[in-house]
Amino acid sequence: MTPNAAALSSGPSGPSRRSFLASTAVATAAVAGGMPLLAACGGSDSGEREGTTSGKAADKLLPTFVASTVANPDLPSKNGSAAGYTGKVDLAALKTSVPEKLGTGAPIKIMSPFWGSPPKAGCAYYTALDAAAGTKITWQNQDGNTYGEKLGAVLASSSIPDMVVVPGWELVGKISNAVTAKFMDLSPYLAGDKVKKYPNLAAIPSDAWRMGIFGGALRGIPMPSATAGFITPFYRKDIFDKKGYSVPKSPDEFLSWAKEATSAKAKVWACADLSWTAWNIFGVRGSGTVGWNIGDDGKLTYRVEQPEYLEALEWVRKLFDAGVVHPDDKARTGDQGQRFTAGQVLVYNDNIASWYGKTAEQAASKPDFKIEGMDIFGADGGDPTLWASQPASIWSMIRKGASKATVENALAAADFAAAPYGTKERMLVDYGVEGTHYTVKDGVPVKNDLGNSEVLNAWVMLAAPAAYYAHPDFPETARKQVEWQQRMGAFMKKTSTFGMNIVEPTRWANLSSQFEQLELDYVRGNRKLSDVQAAISTWKSSGGDKLRDWYKELIDKNGSGN
Amino acid sequence: MSLNTQLIRSLKAPARPVWEEPPSKAGLTAKSGFLLLCCLGVLGPLWIVIVTSLSPKPVIDRVGGLVVIPQGVTFVNYTELLSGGQVSRAIMVSVGVTLVGTLFSMAVSVLAAYGLSRPGSLGHRFFLVTMMATMFFGAGLIPTYLLVQSLGLTDTYLSLILPSAVSVFNILVLRAFFMGISPELTESARIDGAGDMRILLTIVMPLSRAVLAVISLFYAVGYWSAWFNASIYLSDQSMMPLQNVLIQLVQKNTEAPTGLQQAVRTGQLSALGLQMAVMVLALIPVAVASPFVQRHFKKGMLTGAVKG
Amino acid sequence: MSLTAGSRPDGTRPPAAVEEPTAAVATVVAASAKERAPRKTSKAGKAGKVPFKIRLRRDRTLILMTLPVMVLLLLFNYVPLLGNVVAFQEYDPYVSSNGVTAIFHSPWVGVEQFSRMIDDPLFWSAAKNTIVLFVLQLVLFFPIPIALALLINSVIRPRVRAVAQAIMYLPHFFSWVLVVTVFQQIFGGAGIIAQTLEDHGWSGFDLMTNAGLFKYLVTAQAVWKDAGWGIIVFLAALAAVSTDLYEAAAMDGAGRWRRMWHVTLPALRPVIALLLVLRVGDALSVGFEQFLLQRYAVGAGASEVLDTYVWNMGIQNGDFSYAAAVGLVKGAIGLCLVLAANKFAHLLGEQGVYQK
Repeated sequence: MTPNAAALSSGPSGPSRRSFLASTAVATAAVAGGMPLLAACGGSDSGEREGTTSGKAADKLLPTFVASTVANPDLPSKNGSAAGYTGKVDLAALKTSVPEKLGTGAPIKIMSPFWGSPPKAGCAYYTALDAAAGTKITWQNQDGNTYGEKLGAVLASSSIPDMVVVPGWELVGKISNAVTAKFMDLSPYLAGDKVKKYPNLAAIPSDAWRMGIFGGALRGIPMPSATAGFITPFYRKDIFDKKGYSVPKSPDEFLSWAKEATSAKAKVWACADLSWTAWNIFGVRGSGTVGWNIGDDGKLTYRVEQPEYLEALEWVRKLFDAGVVHPDDKARTGDQGQRFTAGQVLVYNDNIASWYGKTAEQAASKPDFKIEGMDIFGADGGDPTLWASQPASIWSMIRKGASKATVENALAAADFAAAPYGTKERMLVDYGVEGTHYTVKDGVPVKNDLGNSEVLNAWVMLAAPAAYYAHPDFPETARKQVEWQQRMGAFMKKTSTFGMNIVEPTRWANLSSQFEQLELDYVRGNRKLSDVQAAISTWKSSGGDKLRDWYKELIDKNGSGN
Repeated sequence: MSLNTQLIRSLKAPARPVWEEPPSKAGLTAKSGFLLLCCLGVLGPLWIVIVTSLSPKPVIDRVGGLVVIPQGVTFVNYTELLSGGQVSRAIMVSVGVTLVGTLFSMAVSVLAAYGLSRPGSLGHRFFLVTMMATMFFGAGLIPTYLLVQSLGLTDTYLSLILPSAVSVFNILVLRAFFMGISPELTESARIDGAGDMRILLTIVMPLSRAVLAVISLFYAVGYWSAWFNASIYLSDQSMMPLQNVLIQLVQKNTEAPTGLQQAVRTGQLSALGLQMAVMVLALIPVAVASPFVQRHFKKGMLTGAVKG
Repeated sequence: MSLTAGSRPDGTRPPAAVEEPTAAVATVVAASAKERAPRKTSKAGKAGKVPFKIRLRRDRTLILMTLPVMVLLLLFNYVPLLGNVVAFQEYDPYVSSNGVTAIFHSPWVGVEQFSRMIDDPLFWSAAKNTIVLFVLQLVLFFPIPIALALLINSVIRPRVRAVAQAIMYLPHFFSWVLVVTVFQQIFGGAGIIAQTLEDHGWSGFDLMTNAGLFKYLVTAQAVWKDAGWGIIVFLAALAAVSTDLYEAAAMDGAGRWRRMWHVTLPALRPVIALLLVLRVGDALSVGFEQFLLQRYAVGAGASEVLDTYVWNMGIQNGDFSYAAAVGLVKGAIGLCLVLAANKFAHLLGEQGVYQK
């Protein structure tokens, strides 16, 4: 059986890197990378695909930033955090961000990944949005799990939908190159002041737009994410309080607390696999392009060459060796979030969105349940060094050769989808039509059955405003999320490659791909430290050093990102 | 006579032929004990799956995994899976594709298996090796997709049938059974002037009911549980077969990137419970198809068919 | 092959139905034997004695019957197989307007992908695991469905048979995700067994992350999932055995075990031989999803097999050329193995997949 044939039989949730990335989210994808984020160096469409474009060359391509003034957040963004809205929803007070319909009704086809069962064409939600935005969209909502395969095949064919959503985690191998070859340069429509026709797109921060430059041209409409969007270590505050545990403040303290808290007999383990948190504690950069940085000594290194890389791995291995990690996490099966809510695991790490997700999910059935984000401590118990994640990692793109009318309607749709919080457009995109899809009770919008089945992730994939958190049902959680990011963001540094969309030459595209497996194996005791060290020297000799030269030249030419 | 004694009597009076010696007590005990063990080995996990699919979310959350001891029953996972307007249509699609696909696959496979079943016929070895090679060499996804697309099959139900219509394994099994039929029977028909088509229809196929049932089942199960082709070749969601719709309904609660503003989980449903419900639903067609197939397994039904 | 070939050790008389055909059939056999005689001679003789034209006319219907399948395979298997030429390239499907023309724009690199494979220790480790697992599965898995089929077949009560059969089919329809989850719940470090042991003062039981036992674990999983389903073909073969044979054997004093040895097993032999030959040909495919799901539990060193290797190196990383190269080698080895196994079957007097 070939792997492709095998995929035919694979069930709903195989733990592939792709689905793992997809499930642990947008910000995760950028932090941990694993995929080569793209870029390109200056030039025309037919020009080089490798490299990047930044500095003045990039600025020329970017849309002018015009901040949105329609709804000010209660907690503005600080230290790279998302913004927060902690108020209730008052439908009468909603503002308008798209005063006139920008769409002309020319039909467009959009392919987008979809998690869930997509609603029918012509459903109330799609009809209402088309009517409001003036568009006529035929959705090709593809199963999010197999989206990479579908995307790879569609891009290799000669019929590409008008607009395609491209998540960063699908940009593996040669798909990065396909982006430059198959999607059009949007600067004739968006560069400079031209973007002002689309006010919500103009309000997307320039950092995020810069990530939309592929192959020397602006090809991607970004979904911005918070640069302080670190993976959050969560702990069960209710259990900590009951048992009288205090939150550990250093790696050693954590280990000794974990040994005390673990009791296999009572089916309680201190933590899940905390590798992602370990990277943050020890200051290890993400994989992929954000893994490169020029240190204080002026040397350009990749993450696996950092001395902290091995320290972080060793600490995680200690956790596994001490038996404080849940056995199912050791085997990597099941849902770690579920073990957390069941109280079998007291600390786990996940995208910060789970702060709200778990709170909302457990509120009704388990009133005592309390989830809190743990502040990330440094390796010595002091301040950590946290590396900024890239400001965007999902894009929507328009195929080369699309007509002017098509492009304008696609941009109209994206502009509508990027409406900021507190506007009628945002409400329509997120909740559908009042009365039909949701009702507002005490300032909290609640979706009904139709809302739950129709208002899913289609329109939200096209574009988004700058990152924000708003949970009218749990405003305190939104506040905590933002404040945690602001506290952690204070320790944030940017790598030399920050904010650049870099396409590595394909001959080195898979050079670093072995490390993911190696890390997982080492911390679980299935590899020796010498194996990791050997892999690092192999990495250097089989292309890592040449890749370093390539990055050196790139940074010299484009300027450093930090 | 009470119902009980009637039952005992029916159990005690098996259809044992006169020539077969009565079973020894030890043998019978060992045999039934072993069978029971096998069945329990299956039913135990099945029990866990069913209980989990019927458990309310708080129970699953409390247990933190699969539920072994039932603590409350809810059908919410099943209603979620079956209530969507999509599902009834998807069932029609799946049933249609399975029926048409199985018939088509059986037609071409039986023809080919018979066509290759006469020893020493012209070119049969070439055909066999050509067929078998496809079992070992696979083409990548992209070439296959481009082909299906250039044939104009994308977004048609044919894309769910034609690319996977032939299973060489099934043909080889069919052929082996056809070759087991004693040549005397076919040759006599040939002397009477019957052509190959008539021999196939009137002699070979009636004598091969068991294997035809088995291979039909193999094809049907293949079509029924396939989902990858649909996710690649179809863009129109209303055309999706059942498996895809079920997978997507589970994904709604598990796979959506949590960073998306929109992916607020409903909170009523446990992803694990939904998954288990999908598993249980997947077993239903087996339960339906199984008696049909087993009818053809009666011992000695095809008396005299096999050459010794 | 013949049930009654040679002298039968128990000295029973050959069953009448087989050895003494009715008069009508007898003449037919005689006639057809005459007609078929030339075909059974040596290759050289065959070509010489029956001219191609006559064979064509004789077998034309048979060839026509084979055509629909050949056309389908040609179209949906062989045409896309041409795409495997990218194994000799550094293929980029997006370099041109579509994936086909991209072949002409991608650079040719000769056998570089193949030498990459030979130089990769991970490939060899995956190959080694694959072969070990294949042998284990052949020894521990393959006979089980046959034994189960014989067991089921020996059950007389139709109700019991039907129920037992139906139950045994079920696990085949569980996905691997579920099978692994269920095993984890029972044999994992937080599973039922571990918890029970923990209550009695034994700690540290975890079968699921034990790299040394992994090969037995996955074989056990495969048996649990598919052994019951595997009996179905054998049952079909058993359904075709005449009860007359059993009766005649019983009349001649053959006991239960002798009847199984001399009547039941011979009826299964062609099917067993066929499946065995095909399994040997498929030696390099020992499972994919099952291993992918458990690779983290025991590490890639123990769990990497060729199919997961291809997936990881080629498909996951978008390295189409490399995946194609490994696929080609794997296919070539598989085809050689099946042809060899078939030869071997001939030596044992079996038909295997095709005739000598």
